[in-house]
Amino acid sequence: MDTDGTAPRERAPWITAWFILDAVVALAPPLYWAFDGKQTPILGLPAPVFYFVAVATFIAASIVAAYVSEARSGGLGS
Amino acid sequence: MIITFGAIAIFFAIIVLILHLSGIKDRNFTEYAVGGRSFGPNYQAMSFLNTWYPGAMFTAFGGMAASAGVISFYVLSYSLLTVVLMYVMAKPVWVWGKTFELRTQPDLLALRFDSHHIKTIAAVVGIISGIPWLVLGMQALGTLFYHLSLETLTFTQSVMVGVAVIAFRQIWTVRMGMRGVVISDMAQGIVAYIVGTAMLVGLIVWMMWTRDIGFDSLDPKMLAIPSIGSTEGPLYVFSLILTGAIGGWCWPYIFVRLFTANGVKSLKQSAAIAVPLSLVFCVALLVFGMLASQIPGVSDAPNDVWFIVSREAGGLWLLGLAGVIVLAASMGHTDGNIQATGAQIANDLIGNYWKLSEKQLIVFAKVGMLWLTLLASWLACLELPALFQLAVLAYQGIIQLAVPQFLGIFWKRGNKYGAIAGMTAGFITAVALELVFPGHLPWAYGLTSGAVALVVNLAIYVGLAYLIPQSAAERQRVDDLFEIVRERRDLAGADVDPQPVVA
Repeated sequence: MDTDGTAPRERAPWITAWFILDAVVALAPPLYWAFDGKQTPILGLPAPVFYFVAVATFIAASIVAAYVSEARSGGLGS
Repeated sequence: MIITFGAIAIFFAIIVLILHLSGIKDRNFTEYAVGGRSFGPNYQAMSFLNTWYPGAMFTAFGGMAASAGVISFYVLSYSLLTVVLMYVMAKPVWVWGKTFELRTQPDLLALRFDSHHIKTIAAVVGIISGIPWLVLGMQALGTLFYHLSLETLTFTQSVMVGVAVIAFRQIWTVRMGMRGVVISDMAQGIVAYIVGTAMLVGLIVWMMWTRDIGFDSLDPKMLAIPSIGSTEGPLYVFSLILTGAIGGWCWPYIFVRLFTANGVKSLKQSAAIAVPLSLVFCVALLVFGMLASQIPGVSDAPNDVWFIVSREAGGLWLLGLAGVIVLAASMGHTDGNIQATGAQIANDLIGNYWKLSEKQLIVFAKVGMLWLTLLASWLACLELPALFQLAVLAYQGIIQLAVPQFLGIFWKRGNKYGAIAGMTAGFITAVALELVFPGHLPWAYGLTSGAVALVVNLAIYVGLAYLIPQSAAERQRVDDLFEIVRERRDLAGADVDPQPVVA
């Protein structure tokens, strides 16, 4: 790797992709604009509340999945 | 009052008893500053939560949910997104910390950029920016004691009682250092976020069943998220979440959690433990706040929502428990802030210019913590009308540490010139914008001053990385640093022999 490169990667590509998606779903303005003021309930929650809870669950799941995956593959060391 | 103040006294005594039973004796400054890098995942998880979520969560964010509605959920998004950042940077930060005996955030910046000056700048920015938040945290206890006194104390008297209690608590923080902070974080965290979540869920059920309160009876304006055409601007929520997520790790008392773990595995496991707890606690708190907006009296004093509903649902006993929960959360945040700042005063300011022994470092850290406690206590008892604006300004400023911190960890090319110039220009830009356009940039579509300044900061860091190439020796040194992280892949959870600090 040249000096302009980034740190060596050991994480599975799907975990990296999930982490990037975390940022996209939490930050992308068009996503939260779409839920602005919506009163339609989704799974019993108002749509904007559902959006934030769904994003948070998605992020939380990514971290748990990453840890379980790395622990199983022995990538975390002892 | 005997019930409510008695509950506080019992909880306080239990925390002190736990600390005394733990028999903490610090042998050197690493023990004092980062607890000897000895904590496993459970302690790490609870310590992170107890420092991340202050008692003001129940007042400020509970109040925001009750008054403004769903926009308050931005705190949930950034609080979880920041754990992703923790997961990603756990390995390089911990391995460098262990290998080079790093004890503070400026230690890491000094190592990465091979500069004494960046250590001083980062420490000064961190310490100064943290003071308004420390004072606000102390003042927030005024709300707690105002309600626990059943409104017999005036608000000013309540603030003074709160300041006295939290200042008294610092006796054990000063004496026991980081190990005391983390051990007490476990007990305080269980009360604040596990018992607290159970109580929040109970109160939600109480509101739905006995008061027939639900989402369908909410005011529709509570479901607004600032969008195109809004007063705040379409990028306002984006800006809040982005700066919250990356800014969290710029605070010295949060960053130092990466050095207290006994390995990378513990850090990553702590993230996996903390994140579901954080999710459930935060959702419960914000849903509680939104629903409680329909309880009489809450709309007049939304920041008191936690105490109003607790008392109405369960009388003085539940009010007492509500107070204990807020105090538990406040203690963790305040202790962590004061401990990390004391360590910085000794390690990054005094120790950066004078050679100090381990014993002297501990003494200076303790004196620094005592000085900070007294200063913050004095400020908290004054009427400072611009304090909140100052705290907002501090936040926009301190997030400028993010550029050298994150790019320094993940990109080999940056140099100390870009780091110092970018951080300084970013800080000045943020302060200038905040002073000219307080709270809101009318031309920036909702971006905050800190977010705009981050762009300036980033441009300078990247620009100077290319305009001033690293020397061959510096390139080799940085390559070696990154190589250490790569080589320790299989040793992530094992002990690594410390090497002398490069600064």
